Amino acid sequence: MDLTLVGQGLLSGFLFGGVYSLMAVGLTLIFGVMRVVNFAHGDMMVWGMYLAWLLSIRAGIDPYVGFLVCAAALFFFGLLIQRGLVERIVDAPHEMQILLMLGVALVLENAALVAFGPDPARVRSPLSQATVWIGPIFVDVARLVTFGLAMALTAALWLFLARTDLGRSMRAAADNPYGARVIGTDVRRVYAAAFGVGAACVGAAGALVSPILPFQPTSGLGLSVTSFNIVIIGGMGSLPGAFVGGILVSVAESMGAVFLSPSMKELVSFGLLIAILLFRPAGLFGKAAG
Amino acid sequence: MTARRRPENTSRRTFLKTAGAAAGTAVVAGFPAVLHAQAPTVKIGTLHCVTGPLAEPGQACRLGAQMAADAINAAGGIKSMGGAKIELLLGDTQTKADVARAEAERLINAGAQLLMGTFNSGDTAAVVPVAQQRRVPFLVDISAADPITANVAKSVRDGQQKVQYVYRNFPTGTLFGQRAVQYFTEIFKESGVSPKRVVLMHANDLFGQNQARGFQAAHKAANPSWEIVEVISWPEPPSDLSTEVSRAKAAKPDVIAPITRPASAQLLLPEIAKQRLDIMGIVGPGSPGLYEAGQIAALKENLEYVMASNPWPNFKNARTRQVAEEYTKRSGGKTFDTNSGYSYDGMFVLADTLERAKSTDPDTVVDALKKTRFTGGLMVYGGPIMFNEIGDNPNAIPAMIQILGQKPVVVWPKDVAAEKLVFPRPKR
Amino acid sequence: MRPLILLAVAILAALPWLVGSYLITVMIFIFFYAYLGQAWNIVGGYAGQLSAGHSAFVGIGGYAAALLSAHAGLSPWIGMWIGGSFAAVLGAVIGYLGFRFGLRGFYFVLLTVAFAEICRVIALNVDAVGGALGLYITFTGNARQFQFQDNRAYYYVALALMLGATAVVRAIETHRFGAYLTAIRQDESACEALGIDTLRVKMQAMVLSSFLTGVGGTFYAFYLFSLQPNAVFGIPLSVEIIIRPIVGGAGTVMGPILGSFILSPLAEISRSYFAQGGWNGLHLIVYGVLLIAVVLFLPQGAYPALRRLVRGRPA
Repeated sequence: MDLTLVGQGLLSGFLFGGVYSLMAVGLTLIFGVMRVVNFAHGDMMVWGMYLAWLLSIRAGIDPYVGFLVCAAALFFFGLLIQRGLVERIVDAPHEMQILLMLGVALVLENAALVAFGPDPARVRSPLSQATVWIGPIFVDVARLVTFGLAMALTAALWLFLARTDLGRSMRAAADNPYGARVIGTDVRRVYAAAFGVGAACVGAAGALVSPILPFQPTSGLGLSVTSFNIVIIGGMGSLPGAFVGGILVSVAESMGAVFLSPSMKELVSFGLLIAILLFRPAGLFGKAAG
Repeated sequence: MTARRRPENTSRRTFLKTAGAAAGTAVVAGFPAVLHAQAPTVKIGTLHCVTGPLAEPGQACRLGAQMAADAINAAGGIKSMGGAKIELLLGDTQTKADVARAEAERLINAGAQLLMGTFNSGDTAAVVPVAQQRRVPFLVDISAADPITANVAKSVRDGQQKVQYVYRNFPTGTLFGQRAVQYFTEIFKESGVSPKRVVLMHANDLFGQNQARGFQAAHKAANPSWEIVEVISWPEPPSDLSTEVSRAKAAKPDVIAPITRPASAQLLLPEIAKQRLDIMGIVGPGSPGLYEAGQIAALKENLEYVMASNPWPNFKNARTRQVAEEYTKRSGGKTFDTNSGYSYDGMFVLADTLERAKSTDPDTVVDALKKTRFTGGLMVYGGPIMFNEIGDNPNAIPAMIQILGQKPVVVWPKDVAAEKLVFPRPKR
Repeated sequence: MRPLILLAVAILAALPWLVGSYLITVMIFIFFYAYLGQAWNIVGGYAGQLSAGHSAFVGIGGYAAALLSAHAGLSPWIGMWIGGSFAAVLGAVIGYLGFRFGLRGFYFVLLTVAFAEICRVIALNVDAVGGALGLYITFTGNARQFQFQDNRAYYYVALALMLGATAVVRAIETHRFGAYLTAIRQDESACEALGIDTLRVKMQAMVLSSFLTGVGGTFYAFYLFSLQPNAVFGIPLSVEIIIRPIVGGAGTVMGPILGSFILSPLAEISRSYFAQGGWNGLHLIVYGVLLIAVVLFLPQGAYPALRRLVRGRPA
């Protein structure tokens, strides 16, 4: 086995893990607080990507700046979804929620098709072609930057949940919605804020990975599946879990591409998922089994 | 065994009762020319995947077919049928086989007398039984999987079916592979260098695997002086191809032979540049992703000098240039290429067939289809459009195109080449 | 109730002689998806174990019947039961792992999705079963090969499948097994406390459900004439299977049928009215909005709402 290849694969996989971590953070937040399984996750992220793309080609704003706009837009979208849809069916059977979000996903995907057409797009950033070589191994600069941003976003969210009043009430509502109500928390408002913040993370993540991942209107499903994978492996609702899970899945897939046939690399991540589900269903960083 | 088709008016009335009724009128409204026409019309149902994962090529096919129908109508329609105009009934397969089948039925009930489509081989296979059951001639404009026509031909040969209603004007995977291997060998020879090591990299989806298999089989049969040292495939659409490219690099290739989709091409080509592969060139055995206007805009210098063996419009033909210009206008800046071109030609093949059949009776149309010798195609062909005993056009061939000065041009075979090919690519 | 059902069946039996082939095709898909939904309903509805990987059973069943027919000359009329059995074995494996390790709710959803995805990736990469190119079935119209020249024959096969599965579910509901399943959905630990072997009951539900779904795979293969891994093992097909019983009312006999009669026409109508203009994708936006509307207006499912309506206004 070619050692350079293994080393390169490990490094590329590790750095690409930043992309995966970003994808998973918003999902784990929405689930952790709301217990909503957001099947429209990937499609919301695709909209974040398209917004970044619009900002880039229409206004010349680099996605590493424009992500703030995308986050704001998706924040309001998330608020709307929670207030307009999710809240109305809290008493319905659990599976209805899945159906509702599938409907939202279908609308988002095809609205993107109508608005932007079917061609794959990719945001061009001056960083995207840059490389640094260390002997025979290279470092992809865009991935390095994304990795740093994933770390920063995870840390910022963690601080938000731990240190702010709103964050603390979100965690309280997540742990015990009844108790939170008893001590006078407006649970409805907290939930709306949580969905909004989670959606904002999804929007920001979409913008930040848009120079690395090409996207098209149908990309949502794949993004959702990968994100769910990561979140389960890391532990539903756990921010460090989403971060570490992203890196783990990425490295596992990269090693799968080195040692197996690359077209089978998904087997590695799904195998990992099944193993985690069976032996540690709470995930690597989760608290208790669901 | 054969069910007789219901009288047209019965199904028409039933259809009107159903919700689908509006479809027919909506289509007519979309083609003002038809409303003014006094002449009878011929209804042709087109089935393409204009939504779903393959919406990009599907929409190109639909527009190509629409432009062809407009051109035929503007030139006086089907003259032998009293100047009958072509009316298109548009179907969307959503890239799903069950939807493809239901849509085919819907269009036939709306009065479609001929069918054309569908781009995706799986969906095409689901339309085949509808065409055979309801005796509606079906021209496959695009779909490369060999069994589609071969299976029907076999069924007729074995006496299970009386008539073959399914024909295809598009290269099969086998034919694609044979031509690609031939072009590779000729181009290497022409350029006076002798690359030895080719790494085949392909999307592991229906089309990618079909192309890869055809290429490998043809390579084995031809046994040329170059070898395929490694085959690397990825799940389509991929999120990351860096390790795949590292693996290709470790195989020390002289040439990378990619079979991509637009999305994977946008990952693959920059990655090859970033990892600084020391290669003579990138030569594709035939796939989308390497020549479209949108891809060139997104990939810029990464696509320069890339070659691909693709079915391609013959731009030496003045009419092709004229249609291509109009296509770019109507599509909002897209290139007239493989997909739009083959759907365009497909519609003209059907018009030519009707002209000779002088009727829409399915068996008369099939007889005329079998005798087709059409030379008015806009694509690069190896001879007139015709259908062999399987129902395939043996003259549907790809041409080698290369991106030169950020534009795709035909560089091989020599007699249709617009410019001289550049291989090996200049060192940067 | 009984005369009403008999009347409905009689109308459905006579329908293909009164309408055109397009409507017959639409009805075939309504029946077929109602059938798959009914099969799912056993484990997903009654037992409350949300499987989102049922496409894997369709795929296994369809591939088995198609391969046996192509390579061994075995009639799909026999192959469909073998395909169903293979699917049941896979269902047993997934079920055992999921239930033994106590995966509930969303964790079980993901386990089933993961298994279906693994089947998909394997089918994509194994050339012996056609790889990504898939399998293409020759259309002969020969009834022995589960193929029919006349669309009406498919109609009756699909109708029989739907009615058969509905009879099975009705039988389950009226027997003790059904009571156990419902009890498990409502409170599993209470069931265990009462001495019910919940693992066994859940396993039985899963095996029966996957067997029936696998049998449906043969219909898919020999009605659509090609099998592609992404189409038959993919998540979109699983979604198609589960949305109908959920909309109709999961865990009710009529749910999957009602759901199918609601959703399939909505999809056809959206496509007929909105797929013609220049805005490709508009019809799916409309369908998505309608789906959301159905969820908002019938949050408990269509059948429970209907029952409440009927009971609320006694004649």
